Amino acid sequence: METAQPHAGVYIEDVSKSFGPEGARTLVLNHVSLSIKMGEFVSVIGPSGCGKSTLLKTVAGLIEADSGTVKVDGMTVKAATKNKMIGLVPQSPALLPWRTVLDNVRLPMTVNPKANANRNLRDPREILESFGLGAALDKYPGQLSGGMQQRVAIARAFVFDPSVLLMDEPFSALDEMNRDAQRLGLLDFWQSNRKAVMFVTHSVPEAIMLSDRIVVMGAHPGHIAEIIDVPLPRPRTIDVYATDEFRDLEGRVRETLREVMGQKSA
Amino acid sequence: MSTTETSALAVQAATSATGRRFSPLASAKLKQNLRWTSWAPAVITFVIAAALWQITAIANPYVIPTIDQVWMSLIKDADTYWANMLVTSLEVVVGASSGILAGFILAIIMAEFQIMERAIMPLVVVVMVTPIVAIAPALVVAFGFGMTPKFIVTALVVFFPMLVNSLAGLRDVDDRALDVMKTLHASRWEIFRDLRFTGSMPYVFAGLRIALPLAIVGAAVAEFVAAGQQAGLGSLVTIAAAQANLPVTWASIALLCLMGVILISLLALVRERVLWWSDGAAVGR
Ligand SMILES: Nc1ncnc2c1ncn2[C@@H]1O[C@H](COP(=O)(O)OP(=O)(O)OP(=O)(O)O)[C@@H](O)[C@H]1O
Ligand SMILES: [Mg+2]
Repeated sequence: METAQPHAGVYIEDVSKSFGPEGARTLVLNHVSLSIKMGEFVSVIGPSGCGKSTLLKTVAGLIEADSGTVKVDGMTVKAATKNKMIGLVPQSPALLPWRTVLDNVRLPMTVNPKANANRNLRDPREILESFGLGAALDKYPGQLSGGMQQRVAIARAFVFDPSVLLMDEPFSALDEMNRDAQRLGLLDFWQSNRKAVMFVTHSVPEAIMLSDRIVVMGAHPGHIAEIIDVPLPRPRTIDVYATDEFRDLEGRVRETLREVMGQKSA
Repeated sequence: MSTTETSALAVQAATSATGRRFSPLASAKLKQNLRWTSWAPAVITFVIAAALWQITAIANPYVIPTIDQVWMSLIKDADTYWANMLVTSLEVVVGASSGILAGFILAIIMAEFQIMERAIMPLVVVVMVTPIVAIAPALVVAFGFGMTPKFIVTALVVFFPMLVNSLAGLRDVDDRALDVMKTLHASRWEIFRDLRFTGSMPYVFAGLRIALPLAIVGAAVAEFVAAGQQAGLGSLVTIAAAQANLPVTWASIALLCLMGVILISLLALVRERVLWWSDGAAVGR
């Protein structure tokens, strides 16, 4: 019945996916169901190799599921990419080194321009300025720090006003202090640009800090072990880390992760 | 407290003053030094090699000419050398540019359509393993003693390294950038335009680095086999060698060598302009 009505955000139902040649296939996603409402921030956490990136790529239209349904704003993934409704932030910034920061952020506008009609395209300059990159507009990626590059990549994903943002460990290459700044920056921006976000991470505090819900995945085969609500009030600041609620949540997530990892070795 | 502060300020002032006075000179000196250490070893090697050459040439007058004999020949027959060098240069320029263009375009076609690679690559490999020295006379028979066979041989020699390197470059795109393009539903053309074309340039230049010296080899070989019509430095070499005219032989060789050096230097200049964004780590220079 939920399938019948158009579902804003991401809707994943009973998705399975295996890799490998016929006869030696390994199941990577086993009947995964998850929906992310419009304006909801959902993190996906789990041991390495449990299929987080695979799940994200399935939503991004980069991998086709063997079975099950994936919808973005009620459309098939294919239709959603045609309409440029999905913003992707990969694990590395993946900027084009021969383009300036500004031209890198303009890229999504110049690609598939048919889908630009009737949408709230943002001004690349403005968005970069709000990301604190106003002085770097005409610089080249090679001249920026890793954190700045990642912010450019996020700006590139936001600029064409997609309804869904998919981020695969965007901050994993940064040092801890930098990561905190980036998280807060992302939260700040997202607060005023509520998209449905699917955020893959390896960091428990990061997941709690950012999310409305945390999806804990287990491996062999990849499945959703538990979904944990994060009822911390928004907007969140760095003070959240010091609260009891945060510590309780952290304990819960870590406990669930331990259980999931235990299953694996057992 | 104030004393330390003032003394610190004084020190700062002093250093900045001395810095201002001496730093341009010092940095210029440093630059000169740097240049010296980068140039000197090569220069010394060349000087030693020239000296050894000269000694050997004086001791064996019928084996190699002395450097001054070569130099005298270059001066005396400057017009002839110049005319022949122009012929060879024309062969290299026309042959190499068509080979480069053909290699790059075919690489694009193969990169975009796998089936074309499967269809054409075997033929290309067969042609390429055939020794160019063996093809050249056959081409002369087919196309006569004019420029055409020389263009073809030069183009053929250049074509393969260009094709292989360009193909590798067009394929080696940043997977994650490609993912971003795909989620935007970028067309093949857009992916080529925004990602593959420029992204392939480090490989293309690595290919050029191999191909351009080969172009000179190709032109010279084509001239060897078509030496009946005396044109080009390659035929000059064969004719002079047949007459045991050592100074002319070696003067022509030296000019072929000079052409190679000029081509490689030009390439390095262009490379710097085009590939400033590449750290060069991915592809060997
Ligand atoms: N294209 C592919 N072909 C074959 N196997 C694959 C492919 N992509 C992923 N896999 C396998 O699927 C499993 C899940 O991979 P995935 O990248 O989704 O894990 P992950 O949870 O993102 O891991 P990590 O936290 O290390 O990024 C792994 O065992 C991986 O080897
Ligand atoms: Mg992953």
